[in-house]
Amino acid sequence: MKNKIYIGLLLIAFIFQASIFQVQAKEFDYKSKEFEAAASQFMCTCGCGQDHFECDPKTCNLTIGFKEDIVEMMNKGWDKDKIREYYVNIYGEEILTAPEKSGFSLVAWVLPFAVLFIAGIAIFFIVRKWVKKKGPEELTSDSESVKDEVEEEILSSMIEEQRKKYL
Amino acid sequence: MYLFANATIYVGLALAIYSLLIITLGISTKNQKLINSGKGGVIAILVCASMAMLSLFYLLATSQFQYEYVSDYTSSELPVIYKLTALWAGNSGSLLLWTFFLVLYTVMIAFSRKMRGNPMVPYISAILLGNIVFFFLILGFVAKPFILLDQVPIEGHGLNPMLQNPGMIIHPVTLYLGYVGLAIPFAFAMAALILKNVDDFWIKMTRRWTIIAWLFLSLGNIFGGQWAYVELGWGGYWAWDPVENASFMPWLTATAFLHSVMIQERKNMLKVWNISLIITSYALTLFGTFLVRSGVLTSVHAFANSNLGLYFLIFMGVMVIGALYVLMSRYNLLKRSAGEFNSYISKESSFLINNLLLVGAAFGVFWGTVFPLVSEAVRGTKVTVGMPFFNTVQAPILLSMMFVMAVCPLLAWQRSSLKNLKKNFLIPAILAVAAMALMVILGIQKAWAVIGFGVIVLLLITHFLEFYRGVKARRKMTKEKVYLSLYRLMTKNRRRYGGYIVHIGIAFIAMGIIGSQNYDVQTMKTVNLGESIEVKDYRINYERLDQKKEGINDIVYAEMTVFKNGKRIGNIQPEKVFYGNWDQPSSEVGLITSLKEDLYVVLSDWEDDGKATFIVKVNPMIAWLWIGSFMIVIGSLFAVWNGKYQNITPRYTGVRKEVS
Repeated sequence: MKNKIYIGLLLIAFIFQASIFQVQAKEFDYKSKEFEAAASQFMCTCGCGQDHFECDPKTCNLTIGFKEDIVEMMNKGWDKDKIREYYVNIYGEEILTAPEKSGFSLVAWVLPFAVLFIAGIAIFFIVRKWVKKKGPEELTSDSESVKDEVEEEILSSMIEEQRKKYL
Repeated sequence: MYLFANATIYVGLALAIYSLLIITLGISTKNQKLINSGKGGVIAILVCASMAMLSLFYLLATSQFQYEYVSDYTSSELPVIYKLTALWAGNSGSLLLWTFFLVLYTVMIAFSRKMRGNPMVPYISAILLGNIVFFFLILGFVAKPFILLDQVPIEGHGLNPMLQNPGMIIHPVTLYLGYVGLAIPFAFAMAALILKNVDDFWIKMTRRWTIIAWLFLSLGNIFGGQWAYVELGWGGYWAWDPVENASFMPWLTATAFLHSVMIQERKNMLKVWNISLIITSYALTLFGTFLVRSGVLTSVHAFANSNLGLYFLIFMGVMVIGALYVLMSRYNLLKRSAGEFNSYISKESSFLINNLLLVGAAFGVFWGTVFPLVSEAVRGTKVTVGMPFFNTVQAPILLSMMFVMAVCPLLAWQRSSLKNLKKNFLIPAILAVAAMALMVILGIQKAWAVIGFGVIVLLLITHFLEFYRGVKARRKMTKEKVYLSLYRLMTKNRRRYGGYIVHIGIAFIAMGIIGSQNYDVQTMKTVNLGESIEVKDYRINYERLDQKKEGINDIVYAEMTVFKNGKRIGNIQPEKVFYGNWDQPSSEVGLITSLKEDLYVVLSDWEDDGKATFIVKVNPMIAWLWIGSFMIVIGSLFAVWNGKYQNITPRYTGVRKEVS
């Protein structure tokens, strides 16, 4: 009898647990931040031009399975980096929405800033050359006259206006 | 009709070649009669291009499916407005539109009142005619708009439903006006160089045209973003798609030019740089077209793959090499007037940094766009360079740009002393830091958002001070009332204050971007009829699911009532539209907009029992994107408007020739 009760309880527990699991799986929020962090790393290959977070499962069958796989991995406790590693190993870097920050792809990330940095230094030296060209004597005389530039401009525009009116 | 429509293209081509040759001959023989004949030819080309446009409009409106273009892009049940706008839905039609605008601009320059008697006109006309010949060649031999089909289909393929939206009516038109508009500064610059004109006449004339082209380019991008937001059901407005990038790059370089040109005007410096920016902006418009029409990159915007892009690439190469040759041959002339700076800290220096950041941002976009090709060439792996890359690379550059924008108005020309800096910046800096502290206290804790909003606050304060000090200084001398003083201050210096309005518009757009990127909330919920979804302060009651028919399209829609903090704020009706002649359905979003945030609801899926799945998003500060965009338009128009005080045509002091 006892055994029957245990088996009965076990069965109830099993059914109950299964239903909870089903509800969890069904009610997973595909628009949650956690899911976005993981799924937005991967490009959908259906031709929609979107990542797997944005791709609409209503119009794309490919993303349905992909999304479910990601949820499964998240349920296993995998973080977004581990999920990323898993897919890159299978499909290569092509599946990512942005190049890796290693190897040749690092050039993609670094070059814009490197160019900015070098151009910035070049501009500094050019400005220095132009400032030196002006000479120190004029600089000291300039610094003595600190005029309010706005007032000066308005005054000159008013003079100009009067000039146009009467001349 | 077939003969007439095709004749407009081939006669247009013949006239364009004739006008180009006759003007060139007129220039070399200094014969005004030949130049006048060429100018007459330009009018005749405009007639041809207009006739070609009208012909295509007529064929589209009357659903003449025996024409390939009409059959490919329209269907008989399509509303007339979309039948007409299908003119720019495909390759050949959009190139016809481009050609029409180019000819229109050329006529405006050739017969401009301000340019009357100016020896630059024949040169500018010849350069633009070179472009026109290229486009007519394409229309005549590569992308023909008037091809007859062997068999007349009963029905057309229809227009992509995504393009059936008011935003799509105007987005391509404004974008093309911007693209074509950038050919004008290019033609001016080349004409000036060929004539060895190093005065600033051409630069002043060019500036106006550049602002107009810039405004249209801005509008094109804004309308595109607005369309994406309401039509794609994705809740975003900018995806860094290669084609979006292609229109953003010339926008950045044209913005850089509009700023650096001020240094040339004031100090007679940076001439080579400014001309390089004009050439780059022009080349980037052709590069964009190459990207869209060649299919080398995956893009949601791409037209059908064709070898058309290759022709654009070749044409771009020829024009850029030609332009660089002209630039190099006049290099010494331009370099002769290289000026000098008074100080490290001045408005001039800040404009240099502005240029560095804008061109740097353009390079970042370019590099990201072409990197898949570079990677494929080097490693054989065609990687995708998408949103995460561009957001990461562009955010710090554009934020620095905003900072320079905030600081620049308060820096003096020539030099800013320490005393001057302290006087101008102490209060704005303190207020900006206080605002940042307040944000942190109020719960905005993401570093990028706090820094971004802090910079925007600084920008708004410094710009307010500019207006305040200007009015104060005016009133001191004129004793006018505040509003009158403000009005006169602005109308007497349209470019400056128009520019400030544009800056404020950009600040609002930045507010919208930072808010919506950092604090959006979204969820996907499946609910039964009568149930509700709760997101943030909103409760959305799902009341009804039904189906209706509109023409050949079936529409499934949900009726929902929206409550905020318990108070009813309205009804929404998100829809899914299934098209009779298109496989892919599209989403019409349910939208409730306020200055604080947008509630954005997409009907994603449903079952027979009425159970439905919705994507609900709360996008903060989106409205500020559109308000800022509106201010950009107002500011640009204000700057280029022919006011009472600035309706002065700059005096031409360049080289005199016998022909004009």
